Amino acid sequence: MAKANKPNNGDVVHVDFDFRRQLAKKVEGNLASFCYQCGACVGDCPAATYSDTFNPREIMLKVLYGLGEELLVEDSVLWQCTNCYNCAERCPQEVKPAEVIISLKNMLADLNIYPTTVEKIIDTFENTGRTTPLSPAVDRQREQFGLPPMQPVPMDEIKKLLEPAPDEEEDAK
Amino acid sequence: MKPFAFFPGCLIPVRYPAMEFAIRQTLPKLGIEIVDLEGASCCPDPIYFKSKDKVAWLSVAARNITLAEDLGLDLFTNCSGCTATLSEAYHLLKDDEIREKVNKRLKRIGRKYKGTSKIRHVTTLVRDEAGYDAVRESIVRPLDGMKMAIHYGCHLLKPSKIMNVDDPNNPEVLEKLVEALGATPVRHRNWYLCCGKACQEESIPLNMMHALLNTVKDEEAEILCLICPTCFSQFDHGQMKVSKHFNDDFHIPPVYYFQLLAYAQGVPYEKLGFERQRFKPEALQRFATSSVQVES
Repeated sequence: MAKANKPNNGDVVHVDFDFRRQLAKKVEGNLASFCYQCGACVGDCPAATYSDTFNPREIMLKVLYGLGEELLVEDSVLWQCTNCYNCAERCPQEVKPAEVIISLKNMLADLNIYPTTVEKIIDTFENTGRTTPLSPAVDRQREQFGLPPMQPVPMDEIKKLLEPAPDEEEDAK
Repeated sequence: MKPFAFFPGCLIPVRYPAMEFAIRQTLPKLGIEIVDLEGASCCPDPIYFKSKDKVAWLSVAARNITLAEDLGLDLFTNCSGCTATLSEAYHLLKDDEIREKVNKRLKRIGRKYKGTSKIRHVTTLVRDEAGYDAVRESIVRPLDGMKMAIHYGCHLLKPSKIMNVDDPNNPEVLEKLVEALGATPVRHRNWYLCCGKACQEESIPLNMMHALLNTVKDEEAEILCLICPTCFSQFDHGQMKVSKHFNDDFHIPPVYYFQLLAYAQGVPYEKLGFERQRFKPEALQRFATSSVQVES
């Protein structure tokens, strides 16, 4: 990823278009391009209300400047998003900041960077087809309510769907 | 009875089977036939797996929807997260390019997404297919005057252009459903707040829940009525954490709406699994003998 100058260091800003092109390849990752920095996303953002570091407008600005190296890091501020979509409701440009943030998390995943809790849930899904792990106690509890045992997920089918197509991998480069 | 394909997801059938039990008890009384889907997986969740790879996420979601398409039925879920994923997939898959990409993957398992099954949350299914009056008529013990705080959560309503459920700034579906029980819905000052589950920085959801629980307490609500199992886990287990962290003492039982409906329809309190909750809605028991008990 090319190094972009920060917007406030007095130099001319060099936008890292490579980063933006990578982001635009993610589903709805291109939406940030329409952001005009009005800040409507901030007022109703619960994470911004209760955090000193999370601000969806700033995240969109960093995307516009191509400052990927500030977002695509361990313990990224992106993980403070509550995914409530208030920002998407308020945005006059239909940018859907929450959705752009998920696309940025897809870029983090490409770098194999996840918070431990998140990685654990993803592993559970990829191995069992469910995000909540099963145990023998589950079926016993279900029986008490007269509910049938949990049925296995056809993992052969799920695993086949998780692999990117060769041309998709090409797209992502 | 009108048939609908039932997508139970993970959290409810695995961790909160009492909620699934309540769905299965209540819907047939409202003229809705539950048809089980075979071979369904996680929706997949709109927070964690979606963060890894949106195209894989969409492909698995599309596969789940095709299971309902095979039956020629619309699909309903009992979880706001599942509704979010499947509704968003339904929306995104209207785009030719995305649908083609996803169908290329589905071809590997001999499936094709067509877009013929609509996605509903059980709350809106009841509103649109049965109606509030049918809910009122199904009740044998009205929960007269019980004050219930409302928690919509986020993913039932937003993004509103995708969910198409209600006005996200002034929704009414949950209030109307609570009124149909005979109870009094309370829209507390923080009704709009999220439960915070998706946020990976612990202090943020703690502060959010603290603010929300305080306004519910101010209104003297006896129950926090919600329709999402993730919000439920936040406000049940999380409530104790909040009390400890802020040296407070909250006792506001969160309850999934359909367990309340089942109770009002006559299912005995002991059968509804409330003993598994950290905060039990014991206040409900004052209605136990208020009318004819109907054995389910």
